[in-house]
Amino acid sequence: MKLAIDETRCKGCNLCTQVCPYRIFKEGKHPNRRGIVVPELDRPERCTNCRLRHLYGRQLCGVCQLTCPDQAIHWVEEEPYEPHKVAIEY
Amino acid sequence: MSFNEWLRQDRLPHIYCAGCGNGTIINCTLAAVDSMGWKKEDTVFVSGIGCSSRAPGYIVTDSLHTTHGRALAFATGVKMARPDLHVVVFTGDGDLAAIGGNHFIHACRRNIDLTVVCMNNQIYGMTGGQGSPTTPRGCLSTTTPYGCTEPAFDLSELAIAAGANFVARWTSYHVKELERAVKTGLETPGLSFIEALVQCPTNFGRRNKFKKVADQIEYIKAHSLLKAKRDRMLEQGEPIPEDMYVVGELMKRSRPAMGIPKKEAAP
Repeated sequence: MKLAIDETRCKGCNLCTQVCPYRIFKEGKHPNRRGIVVPELDRPERCTNCRLRHLYGRQLCGVCQLTCPDQAIHWVEEEPYEPHKVAIEY
Repeated sequence: MSFNEWLRQDRLPHIYCAGCGNGTIINCTLAAVDSMGWKKEDTVFVSGIGCSSRAPGYIVTDSLHTTHGRALAFATGVKMARPDLHVVVFTGDGDLAAIGGNHFIHACRRNIDLTVVCMNNQIYGMTGGQGSPTTPRGCLSTTTPYGCTEPAFDLSELAIAAGANFVARWTSYHVKELERAVKTGLETPGLSFIEALVQCPTNFGRRNKFKKVADQIEYIKAHSLLKAKRDRMLEQGEPIPEDMYVVGELMKRSRPAMGIPKKEAAP
């Protein structure tokens, strides 16, 4: 699982920077195309739900998603890691 | 799975201002409705007029966007005609306390099987920041430029006195507690009233020295007093500060309710 912010919905209120216990959301620095400063993610792999969702089989924490007034925060499934065969030429 | 499938994805992003707390309350309510396992065809959302009352327009279920203050009257009609439907009412403070006050009192008295979620932003947000019945004393608005001189309306106390079965108050800071309270309200037969204090950065915060959205959330958080602590303070005879909002599950009782399907009502 991976945290993601939907830039088309976020209005830049920065409420998520206040609620996350790990302080994953940081105030952004650069406005995007619509002129909105979208928060940045600081090492999002620390998020409890990202790490332990599949182990527990239920939603964990999720306060940022509930608090976000614009429904912009969600989690996306990541594809499992696949080792690739690499031909090494000596 | 999640409350996101109850939202109309094609209508989002919604028109609320940046930092408006109404979106948070919609999330919490939908998360509670989702955890009840109801079908979308059997759930109806009703609302009146105001910022908060735009909420059903963003929800996939059937909904009624009705006249100012008459959300509860329409919801009563829906519940009487089809008692098998689950009716949730979204309303604001201007809608419920000012123009719809009489409907609210009588809906509580009749104890109709509704869940009323009131987003109390303490001001008329949509029309430009006029003072509402719930504007706290001393707060500035466009109609009270020298500070509101009237005492504010305590909607939860009104609902308790009028006879609602379940009354709770939380704020937009307490999201998990609010979700749990809405779920308890949905499970309780009879009228369940959940008051949610929300921030209004554009029309309330801007005029009352809350420069950032987070400032107002911090204020609401610092000025909420748990009901258990309030009771303890009353026991010890300590004075309760006037500007504190008592939060928590304020009332839960089982008065006879109206609008419950016949097969469940028979003892």
